[in-house]
Amino acid sequence: MKNIWKRFSRELGIIIALILLMAIFGIIEPLYLTPTNLMDIVDQTVINGLLAVGITLVIITGGIDLTVGSTMAIVIVAIGKLLVSGLHPWAAVLLGILFGFVLGALNGFLIAKMHLQPFIATMGMMSVYRGIAYLVTGGWPVLNIPQSFRTMMDGDILGSVPSSVIILLIVSAVGYVLLKHTKFGTYLYSMGSNEEATRLSGVNVDYNKIMAYGLCGVATALAGMVMLAKLGTGEPAAGQGYELNAIAAAAVGGTSLSGGKGSIFGTFFGAILLQALKIGLVVCGVDTFWQYIATGVIIIAAVYLDIIQGQIKNWKLKRQ
Amino acid sequence: MTTMIHFSKITKRFPGNTALDNVDFEIKKGEVHALLGENGAGKSTLLNILHGIYSQYEGDIEIEDAKVSFKNANDAIEFGIAKVHQEVNLVTDLTVGQNIALGYEPKKGLLVDYGAMYKKTDAILERLGCRFKSSDRINSLSVGEMQMILIAKALFHNARIISFDEPTSALADKEVDRLLEIIKELQAQGITILYITHRLDEVFRIADRASILRDGKYICTVDIKDITKEQLIRNMVGRDVSAFAVRNKPLCATKEVALEVTNLESKGVFHNISFKVHKGEILSFAGLVGAKRTDVVRAIFGADPITGGQIKVKGKEVVIKSPKEALSYGIALIPENRKTQGFVKDFSNAQNMALASMDKFTSGAFVNTGKIKDNCEYYIEQMRLHPADPEYLTNSLSGGNAQKVIIAKWMTTNPDIIIFDEPTKGIDVGAKAEIYRLMEEMAADGKAIIMVSSEMPEVIGMSDRVIIMREGRMTGELSRSELNEESILQFAMEG
Repeated sequence: MKNIWKRFSRELGIIIALILLMAIFGIIEPLYLTPTNLMDIVDQTVINGLLAVGITLVIITGGIDLTVGSTMAIVIVAIGKLLVSGLHPWAAVLLGILFGFVLGALNGFLIAKMHLQPFIATMGMMSVYRGIAYLVTGGWPVLNIPQSFRTMMDGDILGSVPSSVIILLIVSAVGYVLLKHTKFGTYLYSMGSNEEATRLSGVNVDYNKIMAYGLCGVATALAGMVMLAKLGTGEPAAGQGYELNAIAAAAVGGTSLSGGKGSIFGTFFGAILLQALKIGLVVCGVDTFWQYIATGVIIIAAVYLDIIQGQIKNWKLKRQ
Repeated sequence: MTTMIHFSKITKRFPGNTALDNVDFEIKKGEVHALLGENGAGKSTLLNILHGIYSQYEGDIEIEDAKVSFKNANDAIEFGIAKVHQEVNLVTDLTVGQNIALGYEPKKGLLVDYGAMYKKTDAILERLGCRFKSSDRINSLSVGEMQMILIAKALFHNARIISFDEPTSALADKEVDRLLEIIKELQAQGITILYITHRLDEVFRIADRASILRDGKYICTVDIKDITKEQLIRNMVGRDVSAFAVRNKPLCATKEVALEVTNLESKGVFHNISFKVHKGEILSFAGLVGAKRTDVVRAIFGADPITGGQIKVKGKEVVIKSPKEALSYGIALIPENRKTQGFVKDFSNAQNMALASMDKFTSGAFVNTGKIKDNCEYYIEQMRLHPADPEYLTNSLSGGNAQKVIIAKWMTTNPDIIIFDEPTKGIDVGAKAEIYRLMEEMAADGKAIIMVSSEMPEVIGMSDRVIIMREGRMTGELSRSELNEESILQFAMEG
């Protein structure tokens, strides 16, 4: 039991924080804790949750991906257009995933092979991808997305659970297994913690890095298609600023932006926590402007908590 | 001579651990006093107390019979106690002079008076016989020259006591000579010197007296002229270390060539490197810093590109473009720098040991953590790792134990050719002996071993054969019977 606590202390910490937060909102406004509202929180976490899971892989390698908002937009307009022109929904989803992978892998290529700094490389590509999204539609939104696709990506299955929530759960589970139980995941952590030692250990660092960005692109594409299904229209301006929300969820979930540390479990609940906070403030009738402040404070508090935890750990080690 | 520093009954406790236990001895004014002991003996802790880095401790520090207590390192510097660190720590974007005066720049109104500052710092550099000027940039300087800046900084603060913590670990022999000369000059000017080193020959060259610590306890203070190296070492480890860097087993080199390198070249770095290493043989590369030995072994391992030459593994020509390929031909490299190249800091011992052989620990798509742990347990026993815990972070281990984890990582890949680059740099005597034992076992096991080392005793003690390099060229080769410091140095300096 002590071991479990030690291994998952960060993850359990965020769950406790989430429960506390919900309890407080529940006391102030009992409506907050109704099943409908709770389902709403999860449902509205899906898009940011998918982005955050993807970006967690990249951040663990010590990188960052600022293109997720723009990548989403490309997938949204391109897949939207193909759907409108009659492409089968299943084919569209597979194609969207492929698009996402290619766009992400291209980021990875710039970083791994051309040695650009991840922040600069993806900041540049963020602008390029956004431009492409506008060019695809000439700036116009794509209208009348077929209902079959919308039902597939966001329709209720399993009673009143939307399929988008199931997608998030599956992607999170896959991400979790990938990170914790595969060779690839081990390499992502070791690259993020010490890239040179990893390379000297005979690991193909470039390949694994490109794959990490590619998979981030896949999760991003799924987020884009969920958004397309939810809205029924494809805007080339979609997803602007979403990269920051995704990074915030990962950071709140304990993923270190210097690489080598983090988990999908933490990111998942980090995303839920941020959404629960947002909806809680709305339900309690707090002015929208306060939401920004509250969100920012939570991010800083969570990361500061990590620093304190690290210091306590160091202190304990010194004591030994 | 009068007493300069009196460490009076110093005890420093960390929760659960006593780093210094009632340490009590004196440093005389104007002497060079060596502090000796294995890693973890408490030398650095004692210095940290002297320099005000730890302000909580029991006992007193008296300087010239007056009790002092510093709240932080700046207090100590202003009092006249300066430290030349183990790892040189300078602001590379500033000039030499700015670094020397950092934090204490002379002011003219609100602005720094650069004229006055450079005049003062240049005078100090001249006193130290440095070839560079205050206005030079740091980037262009060698490690030895950077150390001079730290000494200049001590003089800038009119230090009366200067402590050196492993100052020569990154220096070439010539630079070491220069540094030791300067320390003697500082002594002649009446400055009291405290000197921590793992290199005993330096102690004999410059120290007047030495105090030995072991496990946080004060053992004794000796006059250097009355003692031998063997006696010193025996005091440090508390046991007889005649088994220090010597071969305990019969030599076991075979005629079978494991690796053959012909005319290996990396333009502008090294050229014409040709040698063979046999199964069961320990082949060393000796030379001074700047001989490019590390560059050669990194190139063989595929970590750096080559511009020409051939590599044959067991008679077959191979092209190695990455460490991954080197690994597939059974080559392992235990790199020079443990922290930046050797292990992953957020990984446990078990994870670090598995990192280079993940395929062995993967069944189907998934990693088998049980196997990873078993592998680690096996090597913990083999290597006598302390603490014997697979879940322990390698980053929290002592240098010697971290090195064992790195060696275990490479043993896990089951290599035929193992390259050690400075295998015992900065690790304590006990762990050194363990690593020598492991090397011998590997050789006996039929592995070919290449060792790059700047430590003469281990080159002479451990090698079947030694190749000496100078500035990117091979200048000589010596067989075991021809080995001594003189013969090696001759090739290293003049060949």
